[in-house]
Amino acid sequence: MSELKSPLYDWHLNAGAKLADFGGWDMPIEYPQGTRAGQPGGVIAEHTAVRERVGLFDVSHLGKIEVRGPGALDYINSVLTNDLTKIEDGSAQYNLICNAEGGVIDDLIVYRRSPDDLFLIPNASNCAAVLSVLQSGAPSDLTIVGAHQSYGVLALQGPLSQQVISSLGLTIDFDYMAFTEGVIPGHEKLGSVIICRTGYTGEYGFELVPAWNQTQALWEILVDAIAQVAGRVCGLGSRDTLRTEMGYPLHGHELSLETSALEAGASWAVVLGKEKFAGRDALLALKESGLKRTLRAIKSLDRGIPRGEMTVLRDGQAIGVVTSGTFSPTLKVGIGLALVPPTVKVGDRLQLDIRGRVSEVEVVKAPFVPSHVR
Amino acid sequence: MSNAPENLKYTKEHEWVEVRPSGVVRMGITDFAQGALGDIVYIQLPKVGESLTAGAVCGEVESTKSVSEIYAPVSGKVIAINDALDKNPEVMNSDPYGAGWIAEVELSTDPTDLLSAAEYGILTA
Repeated sequence: MSELKSPLYDWHLNAGAKLADFGGWDMPIEYPQGTRAGQPGGVIAEHTAVRERVGLFDVSHLGKIEVRGPGALDYINSVLTNDLTKIEDGSAQYNLICNAEGGVIDDLIVYRRSPDDLFLIPNASNCAAVLSVLQSGAPSDLTIVGAHQSYGVLALQGPLSQQVISSLGLTIDFDYMAFTEGVIPGHEKLGSVIICRTGYTGEYGFELVPAWNQTQALWEILVDAIAQVAGRVCGLGSRDTLRTEMGYPLHGHELSLETSALEAGASWAVVLGKEKFAGRDALLALKESGLKRTLRAIKSLDRGIPRGEMTVLRDGQAIGVVTSGTFSPTLKVGIGLALVPPTVKVGDRLQLDIRGRVSEVEVVKAPFVPSHVR
Repeated sequence: MSNAPENLKYTKEHEWVEVRPSGVVRMGITDFAQGALGDIVYIQLPKVGESLTAGAVCGEVESTKSVSEIYAPVSGKVIAINDALDKNPEVMNSDPYGAGWIAEVELSTDPTDLLSAAEYGILTA
């Protein structure tokens, strides 16, 4: 049993969810049934609901950090890899936080409320490490506080998510990665909620951040709303198959302290031209000397299913390792992400060692299925 | 709650066998096993004619999230396999004791160490 529990823990238990440890939190992997009687549950049904209709996830285990004070943006921008001056107030941005060697401490979303007020969502298991790094170098007039159990996080994802948001009386038609913050008309008791056009599934969607003690109330409102359009509550099992189909990296798999930010398939979020950020010198030197590895998407040509840590072979030689792999519920075939030498190109054929058997895979361009985030 | 029919025998590794008077047994994985695995997406079946040794690995089941080995519950020769599982492995989830059967085995020795439904029920309680 994990020590930490989502504010929806009892709801998940009552729903019969299968629970597992995610970064020290006891979270649902999958539910035994949908929101309507007789709907079978499970990862594939939940995955399909998000691709075709709408799904609702509890991701309250995600970390939360608040950074406030004069120059908050300048300071955070001098640590993280992306460029927060490139977005406006009311937008969020994907970022990495690296150590001096260019290894990835975590990936996180930064919400820019104003240049003096940022809200950060790192991963559950890395929240304390991120907080510690940010606090250690901070100017004394900044307030940087962990707020892990001050807010819940709910993700509403899928082509019908806009319709569900509209059914709450909200008009939200803003761009991908933009957010709003305030009370939901008719639901004033919930207090202020952040609603952001973000997600981790590749579908059009929203992430909602209510106060911790209002999370269950908002969840129940959303569960009722998705039931009207045959949506589903979804566990973190389908969140993983959905993100793998998009080729999105996951910390602890693609991203880690041992893999540089440039090799791990997140180099688009590393602005090397920026004057200062943690790991900049090491990453510039690495770019100069040439990358040893790169992240590629692989798709099975037979019935094999790639799994994390499998060895990748070319002509019988071990050349790399699978970082994530699963059966794609959309494509009905094994898919994965692998760290391989940069000489491996899209269209190449490679092999996997699947518990002693050799399985053929093809290098493809991610995402495996079209993105509909915009 | 997972179910375990009275007329079947079970292993600690969550296989079931239906012992028939003819000396042929039918085998599969239990309701508990399919529930723990989640959505089954692939099964590597044993081959017809293959000799199985009780307790040894005879196949593999993969779900969206994991891989599990199937252990032979009895010793003997495989005389039939459920080919339909190749196209529709999900019937192992929906009907583990019926359409989701895996193989039929002609016993070479009498099975030992199999559990009754009640004993298996205690194991999975």
